[in-house]
Amino acid sequence: MALAIETLPAKRRSKSAEAKRYGFFPGCVAKESCTELFNSTMLLADKLGIELVELTAASCCGASVLNDVNRDVARVLNARTYAQAEALGLDDVITICSTCTGHMRASNKELLEEEGRLDHANGILGKFNASYKGTVSVRHLLWMLIDDIGLDELSKMVVNPLRGLKVAPFYGCHIIRPESVNGWESARNPHSLEDLITALGGEPVDYAGKTRCCGFHVQLEKEGIAPNMVGQNMRMAKDNGAEAVLTPCPLCHLALDGYQADSVARWGRTDLPTFHLPQLVALALGVDSTKLGLKRHVISPGPILQAHDLAPMHVA
Amino acid sequence: MSKITLDLFRFDPAVDDEPHRERVDIDFPDTQTVLDALEYAKAEVDGSISFRRSCRSAICGSCSMNINGVTGLACKTPLRDVMRSDNSVKIDPMPNFEPMKDMVVHMDPFWDKYARLKPYLQPADKDEDHERERRVSPEDMKKLVAVANCVMCATCYALCPVVSVDPSFAGPAAIAYAYRFIEDTRDSKQAERVAQISDDYLWLCAHCYACSYCPKHVDPQDRIIDTKRRSVQLGQTDAPGPRHALVVAKTIKQTGMLAENEVIAGTIGRFNFRGLLKVMPLGLRMASKGKIPPLFMHPVQKVEEIRTIFDSMEVPVA
Repeated sequence: MALAIETLPAKRRSKSAEAKRYGFFPGCVAKESCTELFNSTMLLADKLGIELVELTAASCCGASVLNDVNRDVARVLNARTYAQAEALGLDDVITICSTCTGHMRASNKELLEEEGRLDHANGILGKFNASYKGTVSVRHLLWMLIDDIGLDELSKMVVNPLRGLKVAPFYGCHIIRPESVNGWESARNPHSLEDLITALGGEPVDYAGKTRCCGFHVQLEKEGIAPNMVGQNMRMAKDNGAEAVLTPCPLCHLALDGYQADSVARWGRTDLPTFHLPQLVALALGVDSTKLGLKRHVISPGPILQAHDLAPMHVA
Repeated sequence: MSKITLDLFRFDPAVDDEPHRERVDIDFPDTQTVLDALEYAKAEVDGSISFRRSCRSAICGSCSMNINGVTGLACKTPLRDVMRSDNSVKIDPMPNFEPMKDMVVHMDPFWDKYARLKPYLQPADKDEDHERERRVSPEDMKKLVAVANCVMCATCYALCPVVSVDPSFAGPAAIAYAYRFIEDTRDSKQAERVAQISDDYLWLCAHCYACSYCPKHVDPQDRIIDTKRRSVQLGQTDAPGPRHALVVAKTIKQTGMLAENEVIAGTIGRFNFRGLLKVMPLGLRMASKGKIPPLFMHPVQKVEEIRTIFDSMEVPVA
C-alpha cells in the first residue's frame, strides 16, 4: 500500500485554477426551474474573485437518460462542449449539478481511455469544424472550492458564520458514484460536505441517507416512488437532529424541497429546508441574502435563518 | 494483532421479541477479513452468532451483509478498510430483506424475482435437431461475460433504494440476468423477455448507481441501461419510462436543452388528464414560489450542430 501512495503523481493545479478563470457548465435545471442556483453561483464566484465563463453553446449533458436511447450520443454531445472550453483556452469545466458531473465525467473517461472513442467523436464534430483534443477536466463546484480555494481560506472569508446550524449533507448519487468515474472522494464514506459545513461554522449531521438516492429520475415512472425515497432520507436526517439540508445537485433539490409534503403519510412531517451548495456558502461569506433566491424554495428556510440570526425572515 | 470490537445485530425469533445489539471484543489481525473475524468470534466467543458463509473467497455469494452501513461480501472486506476510529465494525443483516436470525435473512423475494425470468435458455428448435452444440461467437459472448460472473449474493438488491420503498421492482440482479438471456443469440424469446422485465418495472431504476458496488463487477446499472435501449429498439415504447427517454432526446435535439415542461407533459402523455392532474399539486407548490420552467425554450447557440450530431448518429426521438 505504501508503495502505491508514493508513486501517485503530485496533484497538478489546472491552468484554470492558476488563472482563476474556469469554463462553466450550468446545466439545464439551473437555467430553467432552479435559476436561484445559477444566480447564487455567479454571486459566489464574484465574492471569491474567480471568473466563470459560461459555455453558452453547450448542450444538455444527456442527463443519464440519453443513454437509454443511444449508447454514444451523450459522449459526442459532451465532446462538443469540451471542444468549446478548449477553444476558449480553458481546461476546467465547472458543474453545479451532480448528474451533469457524473455523466460528463463518464463521457470524458470514455473519450480519453477507450480506443477509438475520441476519433469517433471528432469524426462527427468535424462536420462543423470542431474537434476535441482531450485536455478538459470536469469538476464540480464543491471540488473546486475545496481543492483550489481551500477550506482554511474559505473559513477565513466567513463573515456570517452559520452559528451551529445543524445541516444534513445530501450527496445524492452522481457526484460520488460510480467511484470509477468520479473517484474524487470515497463514495461509501464521503466527508467533503461535512468539512465544508464545519468550515462555514455549521454543525454537520450524520445519517445513513446522505449517500442515498432522491428518486428524481423516476418521479414520473410510477406514483409515490420519489416522495417515498425523499421521505425515507429526510426522516433519517430529521431524527438525527438536522434543521436544514445542503445538496450539490439541483435535481436532488427539486425532489427534496418538492416532495417532503407528499411523504407525510408514510414518513411523518419533516419540513427540512434544502439549500443549494452555493447559496449556503455565499450566505456565510456575506453575499446579500436577498439576492440568493431563498424565496423560491417550497419549504421556506426563513424560520431557521432567523432563529440562527443568519438572515431576516423576509429574505425567504 | 488488534483489539477489535464487532458491533453485532442479534436476533433470534425463538427467544427475542425485538432485535438488539451486542458488542463482541476479540484480539485479531486487522489484515484479515470481516468474515474471518466473525468465524473467529463464533468459534472462540459465542457459538450462537449466525451468518451464512461457504467458500470464503467471493465465489459462493453467501456472506453478503451490511458492514458499517454499506452492503458487501464479508469475505472480500478487509477489517482495516472498514474499522472505525474506535476499532469497531458495525455488522447488520442485508437491508431490504426480512431477518431470519442474526445476519441470516429470508432470501425468498430475491429468488422469486429471479425465477420469474425463466432463467434458462429457450431456443427456437430442439436439441435433437442439432448435430453439435449451439455456438456463440466470441464477439456475442463478450456481452454476456459480466453477468456470467454474478454469484447471486443479492448485494445489489440490498443496496437498491427503489426496492426499499417498492418491493415490486425486479431489482438490479434480476434485470442483469434478464439481459443475459435477452442478448444471448441462442435464445428465441427476446421480445417476450423484454416485455416481461418491463412489466416488472425495468424503467423504475432510479439511475443511482448503488449497484455499482457489485463485488463481482457485473455492473447491473449498465446492463439495465442496455436492456432499456433494447426495449426502445424493439419498439416497446408505450410506457412512461421509454416515453420519458424519447421526449428528453427530442427536446435536446430541438433546443440543445432538456426542456423540463415538455418532458413532463410528454412523459405522462399530453392527453392523459388523470396523470397530469396527479402532478398538479407539486406543480402548484413550485409555481407559488415562482419556480416555473420556461414554457418556450430558446435554442442554445449553434443548435444546428447538435441536430447534426443527432441526425448523423440516427438517434431515435419522440
